[in-house]
Amino acid sequence: MNELLLMAHVSFGVLCLLATVWVFVDTLQASEANLARIKWLSRLAASAMWLAFLVGGWWYVTLYPADKAIILKGPWPFAHNLFMETKEHLVILLLLLTTYLPIVAAGNLAANKAARKLTLWVAALIVLLALTMEGEGAFIAMGVKVALLAGK
Amino acid sequence: MENSSLSKNTIAFGLSLAVTSVINGLLVVAKEKSPAVQSLMKRLIGHHWITHSAGIILLFLVLGWLLAKTNGGQGVKIAFPNLLGTVVGGVALGALIIVGFYLFAD
Repeated sequence: MNELLLMAHVSFGVLCLLATVWVFVDTLQASEANLARIKWLSRLAASAMWLAFLVGGWWYVTLYPADKAIILKGPWPFAHNLFMETKEHLVILLLLLTTYLPIVAAGNLAANKAARKLTLWVAALIVLLALTMEGEGAFIAMGVKVALLAGK
Repeated sequence: MENSSLSKNTIAFGLSLAVTSVINGLLVVAKEKSPAVQSLMKRLIGHHWITHSAGIILLFLVLGWLLAKTNGGQGVKIAFPNLLGTVVGGVALGALIIVGFYLFAD
């Protein structure tokens, strides 16, 4: 069950990433025809990120300490000291950006160049940070794995 | 017809995002360098990260709401290039403080 929760955290994060990429692409060619979809997708991205944050936050506070102890005894202590430490704080920036995305995308992106440009920048920052989170998560998981393999 | 006016919420929460991003980074440095700060954050809600996250999210919401209420309810006025630079610069600086701290200072 705990592993499924961790997978839910990752899956919601990926859903946020995909929805934001869609927002970015739709915004590049914003028109009256896709405005409603952009708004809906920006809300989906924010909702998915909040779910990823809450599930991941619960896992981090209650279950991660056991993994942390394993990582620190293994050959990749930087999986915690660098990757988890930065991830747990960069994710707050990601949450704020995704919360801001529907506010920016609420304007008429088809007619408003400034709103369109700001939406593109915010979406791009979300994609960049979300990919960083996914990569850091991989390093953390590998940190546990190499520690367990080294202890065999 | 193209226009370039942004809503008061877009400007207010954009500025709030920039400010809270930097404060988020500075709070990381403060709690990692000061055991007293980290201890206080643990005592407030039970875990330093929960206090940190809840505080930053609350600050983002309250500051954005306040900035939208200023100027007689019309919100803060700022030229678009300045807003864009502030938002992108604030988020980038906040991220660099965190990564830089754990890479070089911790």
